[in-house]
Amino acid sequence: MEDLAEMAIERMVKAGAVFADLRMESSAGTNIVVMDGKTRSLTSQRDSGCGLRAFIEGAWGFSTTNSLTAASVRDAALSAVKMAKAARAKSKVKFEIVPARAVRASEEYRCKEKLSEVSVEDKLKFVLERDKDMRATDKRISSTNARYDDIEIDRIVANSFGTLAKTKERWLVAACSAWAKSDGVIQRGHAAMGSVGGYELMRKDEAIRIGKDAADMAIRLLDSKPVPAGKFTCVMDNRMTGLLAHEAFGHACEADGVLAGASVLEGKVGQKVASDEISLVDDPTVEDTFGYFSIDWEGVKAKKHVLIDKGVLKGFLHNLETGSRMGMPSNGSSRSQAYNSPPIIRMSNTYIGGGKVKKAELIEDTRKGLLIQGGQYGYVEPSKGQFMFKCDEAYEIKNGEIGQRYRDASLSGLIMEVLHNVEAVGRDFVLTDPGYCGKGGQAARTTDGGPHIRVANMVIGGLT
Amino acid sequence: MGELKDIATKAVDMVMRLGASECDVVAADSRYMSAEIEKGAMKQANSVADPGVAIRAFRNGCQGFSSCTGFSPSSIKEAARLAVELAKSGTPDPDFKGLPHKKRPTAVTGLHDPKISKLQPEQVVEMAIELADAASGHKDIYSVNASVAIAECSLVLANSNGFVGGQRLSSFETSIEAVAKSGPDMFSGIDGSWNRRLDRPVIESVGRNAMEHAVRGLKHQKIATGDYPVILDPLAAGFILATAIGGGANAESIQRKRSYLTGKLGQKIGSEALTITDDPTLEWANGSYSFDGEGTPAREKDIIKEGVLAAYLYDSYAAGKDSVESTGNASRGGSVWSFRKPPSISPSNLVVSPGDSTLDQMIADTKKGVYLRLTWDYPNLATGELSGLMMESYAIDKGELGGAIRQATIGIGTTDLLSRIEALGKESRDAFGVRTPAIKVSSARIGGSD
Repeated sequence: MEDLAEMAIERMVKAGAVFADLRMESSAGTNIVVMDGKTRSLTSQRDSGCGLRAFIEGAWGFSTTNSLTAASVRDAALSAVKMAKAARAKSKVKFEIVPARAVRASEEYRCKEKLSEVSVEDKLKFVLERDKDMRATDKRISSTNARYDDIEIDRIVANSFGTLAKTKERWLVAACSAWAKSDGVIQRGHAAMGSVGGYELMRKDEAIRIGKDAADMAIRLLDSKPVPAGKFTCVMDNRMTGLLAHEAFGHACEADGVLAGASVLEGKVGQKVASDEISLVDDPTVEDTFGYFSIDWEGVKAKKHVLIDKGVLKGFLHNLETGSRMGMPSNGSSRSQAYNSPPIIRMSNTYIGGGKVKKAELIEDTRKGLLIQGGQYGYVEPSKGQFMFKCDEAYEIKNGEIGQRYRDASLSGLIMEVLHNVEAVGRDFVLTDPGYCGKGGQAARTTDGGPHIRVANMVIGGLT
Repeated sequence: MGELKDIATKAVDMVMRLGASECDVVAADSRYMSAEIEKGAMKQANSVADPGVAIRAFRNGCQGFSSCTGFSPSSIKEAARLAVELAKSGTPDPDFKGLPHKKRPTAVTGLHDPKISKLQPEQVVEMAIELADAASGHKDIYSVNASVAIAECSLVLANSNGFVGGQRLSSFETSIEAVAKSGPDMFSGIDGSWNRRLDRPVIESVGRNAMEHAVRGLKHQKIATGDYPVILDPLAAGFILATAIGGGANAESIQRKRSYLTGKLGQKIGSEALTITDDPTLEWANGSYSFDGEGTPAREKDIIKEGVLAAYLYDSYAAGKDSVESTGNASRGGSVWSFRKPPSISPSNLVVSPGDSTLDQMIADTKKGVYLRLTWDYPNLATGELSGLMMESYAIDKGELGGAIRQATIGIGTTDLLSRIEALGKESRDAFGVRTPAIKVSSARIGGSD
């Protein structure tokens, strides 16, 4: 594959590309879905192909092929240059990609048990057991869904600066959903476990207990009420703090959005954007996490990014292009979902750093508010400065005591205000569940996290 | 099509020889082209070629699925082997009663526009620029990010019951974000279009909509928590109903008692003014097809008829379990089929029957309320409860549209939302797979920051 990659880069440069790069991949994955005690679907994915980019004076062309023959890759290379020329003919903004140091590196994600060497029967047994765990938890569990996904990807990233980086990536995730029914009320609970690495992850207690955790949550929610609507002081658990870090601030720090004139953080580097206690970090180099990588999809070595330090905005997430245009090197934040999508700036492991306050004190010091637990999903429009994220459950806090249980609800806030409204930061830092972040039609594996924190003036999407 | 038919039928024979009891195969050849504008300037042009084969094998009711990229015989052979091996590995499932029998696909016009086949990269780039220019004609517009994307897919589906069908699909989509700035304040207007034909006139209106809403949103206000009448723009209504009805009426979710609509068939769940159909036969609509992802002919069906839940959406698996006919709602992706995943139940085009009002009339008739243009939230399908951010919404005061409301939420149960419909617009648009007019709901709980 290396020879094919180097030939394609050479072709693009000869055809007129000022800068060229590619991602050539071959992958194999397994997906297992069990519903209500029976196999619903067993899937084996085999995918291979190459995505190529050509850059000419401020314009990009991107092309793909899913046939890794010399002829197909050459045709796709020429197509990328053709697309770049079509874009350049109408491009008004000219800039260059500043040459970066060539990276010649090779990495295989570490593991003890290779995913490809574990039989599908063993994987199915694991999923059936998690499904059984859910149904055995309580008679009120009315339906169950357990799934398992894994993938191993061989990827080459090459570019016209001389980079040739090889990665053998592997990751896996298991997830359970349980539905409970009682007196006409249906509630759903869920739990997941995932990381880069090998099958040994599924033998850990944290993975084995996801069935029980999902079922417990569904049962717990049966006697919950809808949350009241309005403005509240909220104590966020680790998962919700992580979602807040990701949605409320992380996306607005992606430099492609800043250059697109679509982030309220444009021009704010060096300014105070949060209370003194807040540090916000995106770090792909944390090993054994779902958001881990050491070489990004442009072949740049990944590193830890401190986005906010003691309340001050320190910088953005960059790729080769945004770094070139904003006068700094890429900090290795470029990723693509697969070879057939162009690389864009993405988060990895995003978190708010730990503080000094005990979790119990955060609650005890709250006169009237909500304890918010478990994250479902969130989204943000950095150009509107608004974000939301949805919890699994909430509890009333009255004079420092936990009270009524509420079910899922959305929380909303404003990017430029929310981190100023953080009143206290807990010391129980945790990187939490695996998740997928969507942007530009592409999914990226990520992890979020942080300690419990207390935030004033969150608006809750309640029904009462 | 001849080559695809050959690939699909030969693969079916191979899978059966390997020991499957039933199988289906899709051979699909798709290509995509798009152009992207960043901050008003042409930035990137993309061309993606994506041929591949999907193979689904059954044994004792267990489904094994595999796919391969490209059409090389060795890759197809390996995918066939894997699919059969997987089907043999799982637990038996007596609920699987069989794949659809051979039936003639429905004649549907407007699935493929030959004009899309002829488009060159330069023309796609031109259209993206046209879109961005349409959103740039106001002094407060600071940035415009936009894209125009076209796609084409030729596919053949063959199964072990003798069905062999082919169709050509195309799509033309636009999306835009116009950002307005006034001093330190920013707001954005978002819009888009989804169609199977090259619809150049829509470019101007999509761009103008985005610009007008970005500028309008610069004037903003807060709202106090309370119950308000809410007018849903087709964009907001489409996004909510796609999941609330498309997901809620999924027959497999109903059978497994996972949906808030479980046990509600024949019951009143909405206003008498509300009728929603699922119609894959609409000319040029993005979700149309002549046969579904399993070969069942396309047909229109009522989901909600004058407020009463009339039907669920079935594929062959769920239909077999309930001993009914599949409704032809096995989906292999959106406007263009994917070979990478097995089919699953999905609506085609949901259609909300229009009423006789207009958006302007609904606003004029509202003393104090909210106009919700955009949300990216959907109901919890177990409870039917919707709790979401009003990403773009405006206050209505004495029949006049006021400023944009920042940081406010909406909370309402789906059946309450459907039952409280008091007006429907007479003009519809397609949004997120739903053809819908504006919808006025008499009351929803709004969480405000005031």
